[in-house]
Amino acid sequence: MPIKRIAVLMFVAGGIGLGGVLTLLLVLFVARAWWTIPFEVMGFGVPPEQPIAFPHTVHSGTAVLVDLDGNERVDVNGDTMHGLGLDCTFCHRNVDKGATASIPPVEQCMFCHKIVGTDLPEVMKLVAAWDNKEAVLWERVHRLPDTVRFVHEAHVRFFTQSGNLLPSGEQAMIAANVCATCHGEIAQMVEVNQVRSLKMGDCVDCHRDYNAPTDCTTCHY
Amino acid sequence: MLPRTVPHVTTKDEYLAMGITRRNFLRWSGASAVGAVVFNGCLIPEEELQMESPVDLPEDLVKGIDNWYATICRQDPEGCGIIVRVVEGRAKKVEGNPDFPINRGKHNARSEAGLQALYHPDRITAPLFRDDSSGEFQAISWADARAKLETSLGQLQGRNKFLLVTQPLRGHMALLASEFTSALGGRHMAFQGFDDVTLRRAVQDVFGQGRIPDFDIENSRYLMSFGADFLSTWVSPVRYARGYGEFRQGGHSRGVHVQVDSRFSMTAANADEWVPVRPGGEGILAMSMIYVIIKEGLGHTEAGELLTAGKGYQSLESFKPDDADVFEATGISAERITDLARAFADPDNQPSLAIGGGSAGAHTSGLFNMSAIYSLNLLVGNVGKDGGVIFTPLSPLEDLAKQEVMDTGSSASFRDWRDLEQPDVLMIRGVNPVHGLPSAANFAGVIEKAGFVVAFSSFMDETATMANLILPEHVYLEDWGDDAPEPGPRYQTMGIQQPVVRPFHAGTGSFGDELLSIGDHLGLGLNSKLGLEGIVNPTYQDLLKKGAEKLWREDRGSVKAVTFDGFWNGMLQRGGWWDTEATSKAVIGEGTALDVDWPNITVEGPTGDDTYNLIPFLSNSVGDGNLAHLPWLQAAPDPVTSVVWHTWVEINSKIAEDKGIEVGDIMKITSPSGTVEVPAYVHPAVPPWTVSMPLGQGHTSFGRYAEGVGVNILSVLVPLTEKYTGALAWAATRVSVTKTGRHIDVPRFEGNVPAIEADPGRVIKIASPDHH
Repeated sequence: MPIKRIAVLMFVAGGIGLGGVLTLLLVLFVARAWWTIPFEVMGFGVPPEQPIAFPHTVHSGTAVLVDLDGNERVDVNGDTMHGLGLDCTFCHRNVDKGATASIPPVEQCMFCHKIVGTDLPEVMKLVAAWDNKEAVLWERVHRLPDTVRFVHEAHVRFFTQSGNLLPSGEQAMIAANVCATCHGEIAQMVEVNQVRSLKMGDCVDCHRDYNAPTDCTTCHY
Repeated sequence: MLPRTVPHVTTKDEYLAMGITRRNFLRWSGASAVGAVVFNGCLIPEEELQMESPVDLPEDLVKGIDNWYATICRQDPEGCGIIVRVVEGRAKKVEGNPDFPINRGKHNARSEAGLQALYHPDRITAPLFRDDSSGEFQAISWADARAKLETSLGQLQGRNKFLLVTQPLRGHMALLASEFTSALGGRHMAFQGFDDVTLRRAVQDVFGQGRIPDFDIENSRYLMSFGADFLSTWVSPVRYARGYGEFRQGGHSRGVHVQVDSRFSMTAANADEWVPVRPGGEGILAMSMIYVIIKEGLGHTEAGELLTAGKGYQSLESFKPDDADVFEATGISAERITDLARAFADPDNQPSLAIGGGSAGAHTSGLFNMSAIYSLNLLVGNVGKDGGVIFTPLSPLEDLAKQEVMDTGSSASFRDWRDLEQPDVLMIRGVNPVHGLPSAANFAGVIEKAGFVVAFSSFMDETATMANLILPEHVYLEDWGDDAPEPGPRYQTMGIQQPVVRPFHAGTGSFGDELLSIGDHLGLGLNSKLGLEGIVNPTYQDLLKKGAEKLWREDRGSVKAVTFDGFWNGMLQRGGWWDTEATSKAVIGEGTALDVDWPNITVEGPTGDDTYNLIPFLSNSVGDGNLAHLPWLQAAPDPVTSVVWHTWVEINSKIAEDKGIEVGDIMKITSPSGTVEVPAYVHPAVPPWTVSMPLGQGHTSFGRYAEGVGVNILSVLVPLTEKYTGALAWAATRVSVTKTGRHIDVPRFEGNVPAIEADPGRVIKIASPDHH
């Protein structure tokens, strides 16, 4: 067989092989995005950029705070700064009352930020929004399809009922731990990202684990 | 200057050379439009990917999603289908169920106020037991309460020693109550403020049917109502009011409505013509009309023959319109009667419809009145036809149909209550006969003499306070039930009542569940009688599901499904099941000969100056008093007088002027039975020979909003009864009306707002409180 011919065949075979690999990768990507969360490529699966770089670490975390260079932050007295450790419900006030967790209004941020951190560039953005009476439009991180009605209140109530031994054998949790069940350790995230698939299979698995109802109309109504 | 270029116009041939044919052009543009739509649909709208931090803190704004659940209103016996808006597990608003055949999306103030029963601050929230020695109620557990009740029921000996008193029941509750009482060898009696015994008996006599038919006001062209306040309180007011809208403005010629009434009711106020008949003379007026119709050969001759037993109009000679006695009894001239008769039978006015109720039947000659009124329908041959009297078929469920034939839905008559055989154990559910029966019935005495009295009640009313044991019931928005409405919509209908919210209080229970559980413990064998074998600890919901399963197997009507679960969900979603094809096949009786003897209209009470015939009426909002505990209804102005939160006496304005009576003067109303003091309300449309007072107030115990409001006018009614049916002749009392010299400001809507200058030169004139 002439060399030329072999080269052509190898080229074609290589092309088919490469196409196969690419197709496989694409299938893998789609499959993973379909069942869980997508690979972190091409902007998928990475936290969206928010209009104000709100750090949950500072507000609800308790760890030592570091600046962007990784150095420990110190206050005016030179003491190491820790996160405030606020409970999630301090800002997301509706989470144990209604369907939506609710995003705190600007006014609520201003209760503290009239005084606190007014020299920080991100807080200045907030103050500007307050002064101009402009709403802040956050990029959504967690989103369920329109066919589902998710009610935060019922879930928080189930996991926090005092003295309630959950069917799984666990004791009732504090609200912050309940949130982390689905949202991950938000308190340790500088930028919030989705950690669980929150697909229907995920919901149903958890409902089964806790003997929660799995009728269609539990969520689809 | 640049050379001018001639613009090049592409010719058809050039397009064709490019491959652009008409067909290709359309194909491509179609494809790109489809593509635009399809691929745009793949994207999530940008605003859904953002969440807003609003600027201001909405302190009281809780975001929620509402759900609307269909159920049945139990505020009055009509049984409207309602839908209730529920947000985060709390009922917020009641609306009419647009699908439900009875009311078709309409509802009334009474059903609206059901929410206030749910959230009422004076609800009983735990079983209460009264130890005879101390006389004070103590909260006890449900287990203890059940044990006490079962012990007392277990000791029953002999027949008719157990009495169950409820509101008129329909559907499976009627079946359950009847099986329960018969298993205990007891009686079941239904209580209703103004009972419908005479109406039912008249329908039975005239049409040969045991159940109240549908009066098709909607398609009627000429409607004569004798005393029936059908737009406000009579039988099925929401249905009639909806039909009345169609009757007046339904796209065909406007119907004519004549109201023959001894009181100027809300319905009379809506009529084209109000005929203020003398109290008790309604039947004589109807007979006189029958005389004219037969004599002038206007109606169906065969019907005339039947009604007069073949003797012709001559047998009705004593009811001749120009007879002096007829004028004396009705107060209506011969010409007017003749005109009414001719108009009623006029072929241009067909279908015409005559209905009677309210005070027309509440006389000693009530049955005579009602039979004569309903016989008018036979003369114009409207029975079973659109715009006439249409009968409802029996329930598709065999056991319920049997129950309907046995007529447990109807209320007991006053005579039944008065001559009550003393029971040992008395069970009262959801009614208040101590307040709602005249003292002559002495129901309080029956309670006192009974060995054990248990009240299923949500509120501490006059009857419950006298009980030994109070079991707090769910309100209807928290409980299961069903209903076969009567009068129905002329086809088989089964409404379903579902809990729209979880019970608001932990300590309340369901009447149906309790009956089943008591039956189980006492070994009454209810489960086998009701077809609930094989179910461990069956609940009332199980019984309803059993019935629904039979409906599902019928495979017809408004809800069809492959599986029973699907059917049940469909039924709950729509508020029930109905089959518009399943109309009545019953043979309607052709009527019997009329009673042609001159009736004996007895009234009792003082005669002479300052005495009047008292015409009581059901309150448009608080009914017979069963809804007096709801502040929205207390505050809903009466449609004629606009009075709120009170009882009043309506007096003719001419008479009031002569006697110097003004609005708000406290009047003393005296009859042989008793005395009440109420403020006067003066208006010109009160017939000078009557005074009127609304029922429903004067509660001594029924929660904070009912207590101390107005007076209970039943205490002045003389205990006369209808001659044949034993119903209370509540319009047969004469009273004397005298001034006490005291005066109050009557709480009312009209005339309390001063005239305010809105802008220069335009004055909104509103009557001052002193002028009418």
